[in-house]
Amino acid sequence: MRPMLTLALGAALAASLWAQQFKFNLDHLSSKASDSFDVSLNTSMLKFAAKFLDGKDPDEAKVKKLIVGIEGIYIKSFEFKQDGGYAPADLARVRNQLKPPEWSRIVGIKSGGESENIEVWVRNEKGRVTGVAILASEPRELTVCNLVGNIDLESLSDLGGHFGLPDIPKVKKK
Amino acid sequence: MDWLEQELAKTLSRKEPAAGFDGRVRARMHRRPRWLAIAATILVMMGAGEAWRQHEGQLAKEQVMTAMRIAGSKLNRVQMQLKGTEQ
Repeated sequence: MRPMLTLALGAALAASLWAQQFKFNLDHLSSKASDSFDVSLNTSMLKFAAKFLDGKDPDEAKVKKLIVGIEGIYIKSFEFKQDGGYAPADLARVRNQLKPPEWSRIVGIKSGGESENIEVWVRNEKGRVTGVAILASEPRELTVCNLVGNIDLESLSDLGGHFGLPDIPKVKKK
Repeated sequence: MDWLEQELAKTLSRKEPAAGFDGRVRARMHRRPRWLAIAATILVMMGAGEAWRQHEGQLAKEQVMTAMRIAGSKLNRVQMQLKGTEQ
């Protein structure tokens, strides 16, 4: 019985790692964070969630449309009560996995006296976008996102105008 | 009285029921059929299953919405910054 259970757990873990396009390795920050958000939604969970999104609600309708092409959403976000809750090496370990030719950084910004840093990476396979990575860091906040799937960048850019936020120009593809 | 009358009188004469007859009748009236209990159990299980499904679905929906809010807010910052740079 135990080998079967181990095998099943191993298969489930392998499936989840396969779906996620890079490892986060940020679990050790959970205990230090004052607030955290950790979500792993694979294709079946997204399809299941889509059934509960209300097409009459404007925000939910947009999200429902958006997640059609998405095969997985993996996000870890941490907030800390003071600076230095995470080490730059934590972020570097994630960034080092985003290597060409699959991954390319389409945009990176620094603002707020360079205390805020956001990078958007895109994974291309055969000329098709198959994933997006967002690395966002502030002195007291760290967020890593991996959206997996045939993601339409135009639609993804529209996310910026969701939830009452103003619509602004699309991110230009390089 | 001829034999027919005698037979009728014998057949239609008042007879007392066996001891405990009324109790057995009452008990059977109060006893619910077994299938009713099974059906009720199945219905309760189906209801609980549906309630659990609804709960999990709402949870998944909230996770998707929160995930989109987080990803969207980060992209929004990027776009705001790019917009500022372009102008």
